[in-house]
Amino acid sequence: MRLIHLKLAARNVRRQPHRTIALGGAVAFSALVMTLISGFVNGMDSAIQDNVTLYSGGHVLVSGYTVSWSGRLQSRFADEAVANIVQSAYPEIRTASPISQTRATVVFGSREVQLSLRGVDWGKDELYHSSLILSKGDWKSLAAPRTMLMSAQTAARFGLSTGDAVLVRLSTASGQQNVTDYTVAAIYDDGAAGGMSTAFVAFSDLTADLNMKEHEQQAIAIFLKNSTSAENAAQTITKALSEKGYTVSRGAAPTSGALSASSESFVSSVVGSGAAGTAATGTTTGTAAGSSGAGASRRAAAGTVTYYVSTVQELAGEISSALGSIRWIGYAVFALMLIVSATGISNSYRMVLLERTKEIGMLRCIGYKKKDVFSSFIAEGILLAGGAALVGVILGLPVGFGIGLVPFNPHGDFGTALVQGHLKFVPSIGQLALILVFVTIVAVAAVFLPAKKAADVVPVEALRKTA
Amino acid sequence: MVNMQRRMTSKLSLVLFGLVLIFSAKAQGAPPAGGGQGGGAPMGGIGLPLGFLEQNKDYQFPDDITKYSATDFLMLVRRTDIRSSFYDSDMTATITTVSVSPDKGTFVRKEQIFRRDKDDAFLMLTLEPESRKGQGMLRVDNNMWRYDPTSRKFTHTTLKDTYENSTVRNNDFRRWQRSIDYSVEKITTGTLGNYTVIIGELKANNDEVPFPYIRMYIEKDRKIVLKVEEYSLSMKLLRTAYYTQYVQIGNSFVPTVQIFQDGLIPEKRSQVTYTDISTKPVPDYYFTKEYLERVSQ
Repeated sequence: MRLIHLKLAARNVRRQPHRTIALGGAVAFSALVMTLISGFVNGMDSAIQDNVTLYSGGHVLVSGYTVSWSGRLQSRFADEAVANIVQSAYPEIRTASPISQTRATVVFGSREVQLSLRGVDWGKDELYHSSLILSKGDWKSLAAPRTMLMSAQTAARFGLSTGDAVLVRLSTASGQQNVTDYTVAAIYDDGAAGGMSTAFVAFSDLTADLNMKEHEQQAIAIFLKNSTSAENAAQTITKALSEKGYTVSRGAAPTSGALSASSESFVSSVVGSGAAGTAATGTTTGTAAGSSGAGASRRAAAGTVTYYVSTVQELAGEISSALGSIRWIGYAVFALMLIVSATGISNSYRMVLLERTKEIGMLRCIGYKKKDVFSSFIAEGILLAGGAALVGVILGLPVGFGIGLVPFNPHGDFGTALVQGHLKFVPSIGQLALILVFVTIVAVAAVFLPAKKAADVVPVEALRKTA
Repeated sequence: MVNMQRRMTSKLSLVLFGLVLIFSAKAQGAPPAGGGQGGGAPMGGIGLPLGFLEQNKDYQFPDDITKYSATDFLMLVRRTDIRSSFYDSDMTATITTVSVSPDKGTFVRKEQIFRRDKDDAFLMLTLEPESRKGQGMLRVDNNMWRYDPTSRKFTHTTLKDTYENSTVRNNDFRRWQRSIDYSVEKITTGTLGNYTVIIGELKANNDEVPFPYIRMYIEKDRKIVLKVEEYSLSMKLLRTAYYTQYVQIGNSFVPTVQIFQDGLIPEKRSQVTYTDISTKPVPDYYFTKEYLERVSQ
């Protein structure tokens, strides 16, 4: 394709502005819709991962379960070397800090509510400061002992405000009942945190409530410099722990993902040590899904610790797979729009061919070859569709960011996919380029047949017919 | 001589084989001898310490309640454990639970329970309300499940879990075994209404007992528990259980009316009433998941 073809194509595009606007508008609209879909799906994906990271406490969680004297699994371990191995195993770790979590009943007056209570080291866990928006109180007041950060939803349900004292009823790591006092020091906007209702207290306070020793912990929460490398980090950490002789299993802990202070599950068998690389051990728990009885399998020895390494992507798996469906629906809509546009382009150029038959004949008479006619038609299609797609993509950006400013109900069905009650628009340059290339290819395909027919026009015939 | 040696070797092999069979059966958690029949053999029981039942039979308690030692009180607790349970037979009853909560109002449930205390097993089937009919709870071999006929799924539960978010715990439907779980710390005497009681402060023997501390009020004459206060690790009162009515069936004294009051929210309480108590043998297959699944349909 030479410059003259492009010049001719550009002239033809400008020559019939109404048709160009109609055709280009259809293509631009397809590109705009696809830009919005891809940007919002990316944003929802990112929001879900951020919110699940908040729920789970980190991008990667290393949780330890110890077999008690009676054969019960207790969510606790007391090996400080594990933290060092984790820290040194993967260089891209931003922070690695111990966390504790349990289900607790918070009592205020004659009202009570069950929620997750997480003990965090406020000095180390950076995510909370950057992700949670405090609607009442401040971070400084949370440094005081036995203070609690509560969600706005829970606080509103109780009529609680900062400074109010609540009772917290929980099970210790071994399963004993315990009741302790806390003062609400701050309230966070749960609407801005994906509707999360977890209450937060200082790690040392919750450890004491769970009747755990000072050096004991339930899990190590790891925040990575880049959250997309969580799977890689989890595999590296699993391998490093396995090589040091620890029993490690990939995936969520036996108590359905979230940490729980005490698990009543009995370890029915622990088979061998992990093979290098995979490090998975055959650990199963005696749940209802199990066959019949604990008697059929041997129990693990008291004190045996099994570690579980899970990632935020695994915990976000189900929600993210729903997003995958949305992405595919978007692709289908885009494909339909492209087919409609391609049909329009193809029909228009058939008309163009009829209109320009005389012109094509004259061009052929003054020395234009078949391939020149063909190239000028194709160039016109590329200019029209490519230009329209570019306009659609460019228009999609302000529209997307504009929609991102519209507030949505954070407690609705898609609450977890929102950031501070707003849809997050994250366009990717690669995806936008792909949209442009794809639209252009489809346009070329649509113009191909009319262009070939135009190239095959016999000059004398064309001049005679249209004379 | 050689024949005699062969016979001796053969007999010894038989004895060893028999021992291997017995130990294998025990190791695999097989039921105790005679346990295969409905109702089971008298005495014995899963998870009970050696001599648990026998030692208490002829125990002589001091006439003067101020003279009670820690051992005396523990044996008294053991007697209440034994007498509230059915180690010689199975037990069937209808249970009505009325729960009152400031948040949720009043809720009434009716259940049928089948208990085999010597195996520490029970099956509970919901009769009312109609919306919950067919739900069940099964405890067998130290495992415990809830069954929901709508989803047709068993979910693992524990004795420590609360029953339908009320002040009743799953453990309250089981046999009593406070004398196994606790040791005596302090004994005093007092009165509870018109009754003279011995008050014992007990501490859990291990860290897996849900309530680390309890205070028991046992009536002097009938040797029955009238009240139990359960405390948290931080010594806060979590729950008070009142046993206001008893029915004597054979050697057993069944607390037919039990009231459980929350320690943190006093307005939250439940009353559990036992009626239609029977000690007829219950078939073994009742204590299986398959039966619970079938009967719930």
